[in-house]
Amino acid sequence: MEKKYTMVEIWGDVIRIKDLIVSVAISSIFTMAAYFLAPSNNRVRELFYGLLGAVLGFIVTNVLIKPKRVIVFEENLKGNKG
Amino acid sequence: MDGLLILKMVLAALGAVVLYTFIGFIPGTDETSVLMPITLTVVLSGLEPIVVLTFFIAAIVTLNLTNAIPTVLVGLPGGVMSSPMMEYSLFLKDKGLSALAIKKMAAGSLIGTVVSIPVALLLAHILAPYGKNIQAFAPVMFFIGAIFLSLIGKNKILSLFSIIPLSILFMALRHLYWGTGVVPRDTNITTSFFLGITIGPLIVSLLSLLNRKSLETMKAESYKRVVIPGRSIAGSTLNPFKILKKSEMGKSFLAAFIANFPFVLSPVGLTVLLGEGISSREKDAVKKAETAIAVMGALIQATYLSGIIIPLIALGIPLSPVSIGPGSALFNAPPVFTVDKNLHHVLESWQFVFAILLGAIIALAITYYVTNRFAWEISTFVLKKIPHESIIGLFISLILLLSYMDAGLINVFGVLLIGIACGTLNKLGVSYGVQFMSLYAAPWIVEKLISF
Repeated sequence: MEKKYTMVEIWGDVIRIKDLIVSVAISSIFTMAAYFLAPSNNRVRELFYGLLGAVLGFIVTNVLIKPKRVIVFEENLKGNKG
Repeated sequence: MDGLLILKMVLAALGAVVLYTFIGFIPGTDETSVLMPITLTVVLSGLEPIVVLTFFIAAIVTLNLTNAIPTVLVGLPGGVMSSPMMEYSLFLKDKGLSALAIKKMAAGSLIGTVVSIPVALLLAHILAPYGKNIQAFAPVMFFIGAIFLSLIGKNKILSLFSIIPLSILFMALRHLYWGTGVVPRDTNITTSFFLGITIGPLIVSLLSLLNRKSLETMKAESYKRVVIPGRSIAGSTLNPFKILKKSEMGKSFLAAFIANFPFVLSPVGLTVLLGEGISSREKDAVKKAETAIAVMGALIQATYLSGIIIPLIALGIPLSPVSIGPGSALFNAPPVFTVDKNLHHVLESWQFVFAILLGAIIALAITYYVTNRFAWEISTFVLKKIPHESIIGLFISLILLLSYMDAGLINVFGVLLIGIACGTLNKLGVSYGVQFMSLYAAPWIVEKLISF
């Protein structure tokens, strides 16, 4: 149970393992599903459909998952320079 | 050359600019792994070779500039190439000079592109007569290249040790596919193997999560804290002659010029070496950091552009780290390009010049303006809206797709195997360059091995 909320740092940024699994699953399913929908004798079409699926998957995961970053805006109090 | 083709080239360049502006702003994305799969897709999509080249040039010019933004602005390197700037950007950020640093970096980048393209084209022209001779020895050259890249890297003996085992791994998989009839004998699976190498370090990191002990060391207690500095007034001019001081401008010119000649060396290594060397004379710490940022901005563009332009035009085989890594799809992407028939063979000299200039000018004009004006807005948007999980998911699904297309389900696991092996070697300290060269040299190495 507790593993669900484990956060780790990979590729220089923080992720939640559960969200990563969801994201990889959604992206892969969208990509491969789109690929298999393409006419099977046309390589370029297959590739194109697959990519479209990947983009759709990316959009879906973007909506579902929130970034694990705290953004702080630092007002510029230090000396400015022209 | 008709209007439609030119329109396609312009659209390809614009597409590359939009795509790689966003990718560039995302911290931590490795250049090879973001450039190679997408370029490969563009090649395989059947677009005209000249359009492909325009796309690639626009992509690297854009990425090299935008990758430096997160580095300078929030202190997270946008990619491998911008890591040499880290120390100086953090220092300037501390002094509240981020806005100025971005302008200096962008102006340096502008100079790097403008200087290196004509120099690289000229150098390619001079080397071209020797290209034919080198091509005849291509298989041996790749082997020598693997040894050479091992020797100039950090872990020389380790890298040398890894060349033959890696070649055996690649050839073993190919023979397995031929033997089981998954692919015909004359098909050399290359592209998905490439992706396996590229994605290796990520695969190893992801698999380490399944080990309890290593999971503990990777755990993060809290969200990533990102500080976006305030917008100090750095003047509104876009004129690089006003942004850079005379000495900074001269040093950026010099660095970008020199960087073209050792095009077979690692671009990031050159950026560190020349960047530190040229800016080290400055005594004042702030001045030194500003100079270093401008010079490195120039070097990043120059090393990348010469690393792709010279091998493409003069040699026809990928004998530099840039051409064998991020640009490999321009040399070898069966069935469209092969080592014997790639961009080098199908494009005329003037087409090279035209595509390179068009791609670079469009990318530079837009990206230079955008980084100067909207660096804050785009950074904030990307950091707030794009989760890291989605990006990793996108990459994994792209590899999945391209592996499956190459040789079916067995190759998905074949590529996973390559990812595990190469990622482990990568973490031990064997560079991408050595691994890519080994992949190219594999048929020759194995052929020679079995004759003893």
